[in-house]
Amino acid sequence: MKRTFQLLLCLCVSAICKAGNGDYSIAKITPALMKEANVIKRYEEIKFEVLNVNKARTYKKVAYTILNEKGDESAEIVEMYDKLSNQPSIEATLYDAMGVKVKSLKRSDIKDMSATDDNNLIDDNRLKAFNFYCKNYPYTVEYEVEQDQYYTMFFPGWIPVEKEMMSVQYSSFSVILPADLHFRYKASNGAGEPVKTTVDNKQVFTWKLQDFNAIKREPYAPYWLELVPCVYMAPSEFAIQGYQGNMNSWQDFGKFVYALKKDRDALPAEVKAKVHELTDNIADTHKKVALLYDFMQKNTRYISVQLGIGGWQPFDATYVATKRYGDCKALSNYMFSLLKEAGIPSCYALVKAKNNSFVADFPSSQFNHAILCVPLAKDTMWLECTSQTEAPGYMGDFTGGHYSLLINEAGGTLVKVPGYKMNDNLQVRKTFATVDATGNTEVHENGQYKAIQQEDLHNLINYNAKDKQLERLKSQFDLPQYDVVSFSYKEEKSRIPVINEDVQLNAIGYASVTGKRLFIMPNILSKSSSKPTAADARKYDLVLDLEYKDVDTVEIKIPDGYIPESVPQPQQIATKFGKYTSSVKIEGNKIYYYRSMERISGRFTAAAYNEFVQFYEQIYKADRSKVVMVKAN
Amino acid sequence: MKRSFLFIVLQLCFGLIVSAQEKCVVDFGKVYPKDFDLSKEKVDTAANAVVIADIGRSSFDGNLKGAFSIIFKRQLRIKIQNKNGLDAASFEIPLYQSEGNKQEELGNFKASTYNLENGSVIETKLENSQVFEEKRSKNWVVKKIAMPAVKEGSIIDIVYTVYSDFLFNLHSWEFQGKYPKLWSEYEVNIPEYFTYITLAQGYTPYHIKEESRQLGSFNIMWQDVIGGYDRQSVTGTVNRTRWVMKNVPALKKEAFTTTLDNHVSKLEFQLSEISYPNSMPKSVMSTWNNVGEELRNSEYFGAQLHINNTWLGDEMKTIVAGSKNSLERMKRIYAFVRDNFTCTFHSGSYLTTNSLRTVFKNRSGNVADLNLLLTAMLSYEGFNAYPVLLSTRSHGYTNKIYPVMDKFNYVVTCVKTSSDQWFLDASNPLLGFGKLDEECYNGHARMLVRKNLLPIYFESDSVREEKFTTVFIEMDETGTLNGHVNFTPGYYESMTLRGVVKKKGKEEFEKRIRSNYDSDWHIDSIGIDLLDSLEAPLDLHYELALNNSADIVYINPLLTGGLKNNPFISTERYYPVEMPYAFDELHVFNMEVPRTYEINELPGSVKVTFNGGQGGFEYQITQDDNLIQMKARVYFKRTNFQPEEYQSLRDFFSHVVKKESEQIVLKKKKSL
Repeated sequence: MKRTFQLLLCLCVSAICKAGNGDYSIAKITPALMKEANVIKRYEEIKFEVLNVNKARTYKKVAYTILNEKGDESAEIVEMYDKLSNQPSIEATLYDAMGVKVKSLKRSDIKDMSATDDNNLIDDNRLKAFNFYCKNYPYTVEYEVEQDQYYTMFFPGWIPVEKEMMSVQYSSFSVILPADLHFRYKASNGAGEPVKTTVDNKQVFTWKLQDFNAIKREPYAPYWLELVPCVYMAPSEFAIQGYQGNMNSWQDFGKFVYALKKDRDALPAEVKAKVHELTDNIADTHKKVALLYDFMQKNTRYISVQLGIGGWQPFDATYVATKRYGDCKALSNYMFSLLKEAGIPSCYALVKAKNNSFVADFPSSQFNHAILCVPLAKDTMWLECTSQTEAPGYMGDFTGGHYSLLINEAGGTLVKVPGYKMNDNLQVRKTFATVDATGNTEVHENGQYKAIQQEDLHNLINYNAKDKQLERLKSQFDLPQYDVVSFSYKEEKSRIPVINEDVQLNAIGYASVTGKRLFIMPNILSKSSSKPTAADARKYDLVLDLEYKDVDTVEIKIPDGYIPESVPQPQQIATKFGKYTSSVKIEGNKIYYYRSMERISGRFTAAAYNEFVQFYEQIYKADRSKVVMVKAN
Repeated sequence: MKRSFLFIVLQLCFGLIVSAQEKCVVDFGKVYPKDFDLSKEKVDTAANAVVIADIGRSSFDGNLKGAFSIIFKRQLRIKIQNKNGLDAASFEIPLYQSEGNKQEELGNFKASTYNLENGSVIETKLENSQVFEEKRSKNWVVKKIAMPAVKEGSIIDIVYTVYSDFLFNLHSWEFQGKYPKLWSEYEVNIPEYFTYITLAQGYTPYHIKEESRQLGSFNIMWQDVIGGYDRQSVTGTVNRTRWVMKNVPALKKEAFTTTLDNHVSKLEFQLSEISYPNSMPKSVMSTWNNVGEELRNSEYFGAQLHINNTWLGDEMKTIVAGSKNSLERMKRIYAFVRDNFTCTFHSGSYLTTNSLRTVFKNRSGNVADLNLLLTAMLSYEGFNAYPVLLSTRSHGYTNKIYPVMDKFNYVVTCVKTSSDQWFLDASNPLLGFGKLDEECYNGHARMLVRKNLLPIYFESDSVREEKFTTVFIEMDETGTLNGHVNFTPGYYESMTLRGVVKKKGKEEFEKRIRSNYDSDWHIDSIGIDLLDSLEAPLDLHYELALNNSADIVYINPLLTGGLKNNPFISTERYYPVEMPYAFDELHVFNMEVPRTYEINELPGSVKVTFNGGQGGFEYQITQDDNLIQMKARVYFKRTNFQPEEYQSLRDFFSHVVKKESEQIVLKKKKSL
């Protein structure tokens, strides 16, 4: 189980408004904007003003017309704040369909509450929220928010089209800077270049978007930010809680992160002694790393405390050594310190975990996790330090293949954590089954799962008691009714971790016996459940993240005296998304079944989507095809 | 009142064996190497953590505010068995605060982690700086603790005291929890001035239950005008009760359970009377009548129902304008609240958060706000409308005898005419007039009629979910199938489906129907009727077709509607099965077979009953020349079952699943 630290939420907020002359009558919305929309952003004006390197202010005025219940979500305003930002001021007004003002918000109606994430033991996040709870559709809400923040490390981004089925009538975004400060931006998907002006000796950069029609999300589509106009922004020089930095390049940003973490590697004497006790007599560096990693795993656990700069600066190694806990930053720094004591150089690294949407050519704070990189003679080993159970060097789906910023004294270097390929992500199952005269079926399965295909199981067997494992097994298979007779798992903690499974089931009534016939699906345990829906006009590319391979061999013994009446045809389906093969052979009272499925990752054109749907439909059907046996006489 | 209650308690204790002061052997704050070895204990070896001892003690003392405080002392020792048990090393201690100077305070907090390293015990103390505080709401502050130096095999000792000025908050005790407990003990010492009702539940027997009395003296102090303290000492009898359970297993949630809270072994206390020396006994919460009167007068409940809410006047005129009769007026008012208000907090409280006028203005509120507003609006129009207090199924049962009000969390409205009555809930936009959510059918509830809280029962047995499917299929001479399906789901299933349509649109719904069939079936003309008639179940229908030219055709007469999996997954059950409603599902299948095919095989007819007709399964199939007709019916009239009945319940459904997977076999005739 791995966890990220929380990104300081970018707070949107500055001053002066032209306000409420807006005519929000729905008559002023063009039919094109209404199409496929639940919400229409009628007006948006955001001004992000950097007052000095330590302070910034956001002013936002936004109005949404909510067309139906599905749009209600946009009618609620939620603004975050914490120790590094003021409580936002919020004004709100409700208008009816004709654009006539119905009412304004009273300050006392704003809810104020803790926004501590379940993942964190404690942090200082709080939020303010308000909602008119109007149900007379369509209606319009208008909000004005102003908020000061005491750091400039994060700039808000401009994403005028916030979600699917939202169209935008007008949105503008301005960055206001003192003459002596700089910022950087990257405009994507047609957001365009800003208009530059100078007002009161300040630089003003403004982007605008008008009449953008609603988008409907499609399954397996690229990340949202690849579909809509948006502008990424980041400071050049910035400050946060007394620490100053520069983000012009990955190298510069890395220097700042390095300054936050350097000289935090002192270990207590007894831990140092332990390091030497464990490693001094070992020659192989790889083995040393594995031993120390195991020591770290056994003696720490993940506890996240994110207060102020603590969201960015790791607790020092002594803190972790005595408390025996820390978050990803603290634990990675601790592991770094252990290795250092053993004379093994390593490198603290930031990474974007979970979601792999990343803009590599735009240096900015896009990371949400910390890991450790250990360069060894032959190859490089990566360590996930928040897990007490992971095999040394295995990064998994969480960070495998993702961008990472190596942090050294000289600055940052952007690299990719190695990912996992089809032949790594393997699942091989061998199944033996015996059917009795009533259709009850005893099933004995030996499975082998590797890399990403073993992750669920890894978590199940490491983080759940035997009874929970059983509970999961009891509902895991698509069988009408079954009892788990026995099960066991064996883990091999190698770079590509392997889990061997041995499961015995009693599948009650799995084969259907009616009079003289016996019906049975020879694919007992590995039926595909994916059934994507076909689309008339697919708009966006098809993105498949994971590649893997499944192989099944099944041998089923049925009662004597039956002969085949209907046997599924062998299948060989080869597409650009992967290959599927299955075949059934019957010899006497034995049914032999073979299945293999290879899935390729990649990006495919929208036109290929229906072919993809068809591929899965064929698999779905083939996986459920039945053998029908009939009594011989 | 007081005497009769004490009498009950004493009676209960009589028959119990009082063992001679058996004490827990744990020495808190001192851990020896042998304490790490639990091999001699009867512990579930699969447990991630084991509570070695959990000991609570509540007693009373005078405070500096001229009153009594409750002192709750807790000593806890946990052993972390494996990595999954690390969560047991993080704690939360909630503390209640109210306006004014009343509060709960944490004191004498001591916690350490002990590890066995090379045969010796290493202690790591928790520093006070590692106790974090989160202000969770106006009334609750939570102390959060993450123990240091915890790993597999660690022992954790925690000792703390909570001082509480809230006499109603005598700490409850759960003998059973997420981890198995070797020793769980609770002792309460209650001075004669206070009477508490004890509510006990669970299936584990007490290892010890003992009572005794002793004298106690209490110093009550208060600040006088010049800042010094005045003081009074009183001496009185203290009633001591001690309960111990040993080797309490952890309880696991299974399907068809209202809430585990209804089944764990625990004790709860309710303050019922205060009688200070030289003053009249004051009943704090002794009868339903008292509570009824309080609720009637409470500004958070009934007070607003009994004033003339003239501010409603103008709006009411528009709402009921043009109604033909009183039933229609009622329905209009109900629909107005249901369709125009948002329920922001669904099952948290039976008390209102705002004045009804503010609720009306804000168009939102919790369930009590909305349904009390509904009650007030109906009353304003001259109807007999009353609020009903209940507890939802997932919140747990209410107590029939004692008015334990925090067991209630929900309010609905009852409206009566001389001949009829309806229960209404305006907090759910998908509910029809006169319908309640299945969560409300949780037995005992109370209706406030003037100042009387009258008992009323919502039994799950009384709700019947009826589902009806008919299929007509015609096969032509080439083997192609064409058919028509008509499907009336039960009321609650209809509600769920309406929710899907509302949230995701009809397309999503159609997608779901199509995904039930293999892709070679063509599903067309899907119709959903009665989508807006919230009082009635939906009526769904569609056409289906299958191009087929095979010589042998296998077809399941239930198509996609049969029960595919047994809902009772576990092989054993340790507490009752609680189904949300009774049900009756009927499938009818008609098929016309062409002359070119012969009916080679049909599943056999069967009839099974459960427990003398409380449930049943009928599968009847007939052939009349070239017509096949099948009827399959599964019904249950009862909803609650004891663990002893579990096996037969499971077998019954196993039988249904098996039978409903059987197929009809048609064969093309050799030549015609």
